Amino acid sequence: MPSVTIDGQTFEFEGRPGLLQFCLQHGLEVPHFCYHPAMSAPANCRQCLVDVGTPEMDRETRQPRLDEAGNPVIRFFPKLQTSCTMEITDGMVVKSHRSSEAVERAQKDNLELLLINHPLDCPICDQAGHCPLQIQAYKYGPEGSRFEFEKVNKPKHIPLGPQVMLDGERCINCTRCVRFTTEISESHQLTIIERGVRNYPMTPPGVTFDEPYSMNVIDICPVGALTSRDSRFKARIWEMSRTASVTTGGANGNNCYYWVKDNQIMKVTPRDNPSVNEYWLPDEERLDYHRFNDDRPEGPAIGKIKTDWNAAYDAAASLLKDADASRVVFMGSAYATVEDNYLLMKLAASLGADAPTYIPHIEEGHGDDWLRTDDRSPNREGCERLGMMPAGDSLAARLNAGEVDVLYVLEEDPVAAGLATTEQLANVRVILHAYNTTNQTMPAADVFLPAATVVETVGTFVNHKGHAQRVRPAKAIRGMNRTLMMEVGKSRADLHGTPFDRWHDESNLVDCQPGWVSLPAVAIRLGHAMDYRGPKYIMHEIADSIDAFDGATYAAMGEQGVRLEDVGAAV
Amino acid sequence: MEAKSGKAGDWRSYERVLLPKVKDYHQLEVYEANGGYKALREILTNDKWDPTAVTNEVKKSGLKGRGGAGFPTGLKWSFMPPVVEGVPRYLCCNGDESEPGTFKDRQLLEYNPHAVFEGMLIASYAMSLAGSYLYIRGEYADWITHMEGELKKAYDKGYVGKNIMGSGFSSELVIHKGAGAYICGEESSLMNSLEGKRAYPRVKPPFPAQKGIWGYPTTINNVETLAAVPYIINRGGAWFAGTGAEKHPGPVLYGISGHVNRPGVYEYPTGMLMTDLIYEVAGGIRGGKKLKAVVPGGSSTPVLRADMIEGVTMDADSLREAGSMMGTSGMLVMDEDTDMVSFLRRITHFYHHESCGQCTPCREGTGWLENIVTRIDEGEGHLRDLDLLVDLCSEMEGRTVCALADAAAWPVRYTIDRFRSEFEAKCRASLVSSGIDLAEVSA
Repeated sequence: MPSVTIDGQTFEFEGRPGLLQFCLQHGLEVPHFCYHPAMSAPANCRQCLVDVGTPEMDRETRQPRLDEAGNPVIRFFPKLQTSCTMEITDGMVVKSHRSSEAVERAQKDNLELLLINHPLDCPICDQAGHCPLQIQAYKYGPEGSRFEFEKVNKPKHIPLGPQVMLDGERCINCTRCVRFTTEISESHQLTIIERGVRNYPMTPPGVTFDEPYSMNVIDICPVGALTSRDSRFKARIWEMSRTASVTTGGANGNNCYYWVKDNQIMKVTPRDNPSVNEYWLPDEERLDYHRFNDDRPEGPAIGKIKTDWNAAYDAAASLLKDADASRVVFMGSAYATVEDNYLLMKLAASLGADAPTYIPHIEEGHGDDWLRTDDRSPNREGCERLGMMPAGDSLAARLNAGEVDVLYVLEEDPVAAGLATTEQLANVRVILHAYNTTNQTMPAADVFLPAATVVETVGTFVNHKGHAQRVRPAKAIRGMNRTLMMEVGKSRADLHGTPFDRWHDESNLVDCQPGWVSLPAVAIRLGHAMDYRGPKYIMHEIADSIDAFDGATYAAMGEQGVRLEDVGAAV
Repeated sequence: MEAKSGKAGDWRSYERVLLPKVKDYHQLEVYEANGGYKALREILTNDKWDPTAVTNEVKKSGLKGRGGAGFPTGLKWSFMPPVVEGVPRYLCCNGDESEPGTFKDRQLLEYNPHAVFEGMLIASYAMSLAGSYLYIRGEYADWITHMEGELKKAYDKGYVGKNIMGSGFSSELVIHKGAGAYICGEESSLMNSLEGKRAYPRVKPPFPAQKGIWGYPTTINNVETLAAVPYIINRGGAWFAGTGAEKHPGPVLYGISGHVNRPGVYEYPTGMLMTDLIYEVAGGIRGGKKLKAVVPGGSSTPVLRADMIEGVTMDADSLREAGSMMGTSGMLVMDEDTDMVSFLRRITHFYHHESCGQCTPCREGTGWLENIVTRIDEGEGHLRDLDLLVDLCSEMEGRTVCALADAAAWPVRYTIDRFRSEFEAKCRASLVSSGIDLAEVSA
């Protein structure tokens, strides 16, 4: 197999891998700014220079020429080469800053140059703390600067569009943002204007940077030139914990990080997953977090009266116990996890009621064949695989005919969905698990059980392509130890958190419960034990008992999720 | 006749070819009456001229690119990949002449545009391509208008377009007007500009012959290079090879500017003595002053001190030995009163202004160079600035996508190297004015 020697270490390779990507994949850091694996390599930042040599070939024999010791004679390129544009060939010898003083010097020089016109306003820059320029300047840059002149002045705080703010002075002209709009989103809404050291990205005349994926340029910007108008100045990066999860604004299950400070979601950023969303996330899903922070109910209620959880469970159980099972309607949810929907199905079955249905949330024309889908709910596929049927018009007819005594709603809003009106529900006893006080079915609720949102629970969503993925609790809730639910010690999965961080403060704790806590609590009061040690074990049972989930364990899903077909689940 | 001096033979009796003494030669009728389009007719109608034969004739002539890099033209043409049915290929004539001190292509575009067209058509035939672009810097607006008129005449006469002269060979020619950026003269940047993109140089490889205009095989030649081609066909490669310096032959346009009595563009063979050019051709130094320095081939080529040019001839080898380059043969002549710091300040300003900003070392370095040189020129420099300048040159040279960073760094490196005492004097003067004891500083 062909091989390459990097800093004296030999690696085998297949095909024609790019040198920089190859180094990064093998844990050999090479500083870089403009290179991004999903986009073309313009080699403009000049940071990833390395010394490259190839074996000298004998023209006649077409074999590498050997020296006296029998080693191939290596001919080095006369100039240092950008590793981002270099393809690895057999026998190549590469010297990075780890083994070449010339390379180390070149990288240091380049950082000195990058910094001469870059404002050193890190203390007020949102990028500080996770800034590639800051980090690499510390690691590879010079001490101090020899630049004694006024820096170039460029436009600052320029809104490029509704979501993205430009600080031209911080820009280092890597053109990642421009390449994103030309090569990835193809909106062509950004270009570089001016010339030379005055260059900065801008929209063409008369154009607003308002494409549905505009905020991705914020993540790929290697400095603080492009910041989010929504979240800038709200929290420093080291004040937040980030939790790997998925978004719930569509059916694609885009992988994301939820960033939390003081138990409030501050922002949502994409998490790399080549089989789901690569590196990207639509703007609408980044901005769809205020519902996790705002309009949250405080504790359960019976009627309009606040109560404690035990009383609320008792009330819900007694409503169910007293009702004729054929006159009880259970409604699941494409917003709820597979586990919670499964428990609801078990509860309905244990009472002998009809199986729960779910409400589809299709918005024709919303999808774009990329990361946005017509389906605005995250788990329709999961509901279907559980065997749940979409709720039809029959509910209204049954309500009008007076055939329903109890309506049990899990994390849904049938009134807002147009399936029922509050008038129709006036004579129906409604048990409602809901996230927000904006839920329009809430006024009709007889027993109200505040539900944990996707950022506060553990569970599984199945995207529209059958990719099962886990969600993890990003925020803590009252009465639930988040770190226990993380299944890892301390805050390891948080990456930025520490044992002393703000998880332990009491601010903004919502008094709510995930379905996998509240549904068993109701069930046990009806004499039906649902004894699970946690959602993981619920999923085990689902995987064992339902063919469409065969093999779908938490272990199989891991961080990146799993295509259910690939683990043997029935399609 | 015996060679009088240098390698150029008797340049005094040289008869101009590229810019002949013919009135209104820029007009099609006059050009035709003086043998214009004869070479094109010859290669299209005479069976001995297949495309390879044309390329070989150009190879035989020893013609080297006149745009600055001096790459052998025939060899460049032969880099074009084999013709593939349905895959377009292009020629581009680079008329984005913008290196300070260089103004010779303008002369051709103004006085002999049809030789450029004819050369482009012959090259198109030699490389079997059916479309060529003539990219001219936008500042040459008047000549562009005029050339468009002349090109239309050539189209009407059947010299350009479909089925040229009934030979079955078709080739379109499009004049494209640049928008005023030095970087567009860099060939890959020119291609981007031509495509309507931002004029950022492209990463090489792939080279233009592999992936050029619109992603297709492309060859890019300088105006003067292509204008020489019809004369090579007419007079034979041997004639060209026998003119001027052996290894860098042919007639060449010298653009002489600066402190000389008769600045201008002069056509003579290569290999002329630099001193002949300055003292004979250009009439010597203005006001009878002494020569101080010469930049031989456009502002980016290293400056030579007066004491370095004795016996130096205008060809690649001799100039390399002398410590400079042929470049575009646009010669800047400076007399003894020239302030070399001010000279360098102007040069650094140019490259700062014209750096496209794509690569870090050039974008940031060109401005920094200008900052420091300006500070020295204004009498506020420090002696340590000189080492910093040279250090910055090392930070820029060879570390960018195109050669602009090198072009910006060389004048700094060599002007300081060759006139260091002048720079030091200015820095010392600043110390004096700031009241620092010089004896203490030097100790």
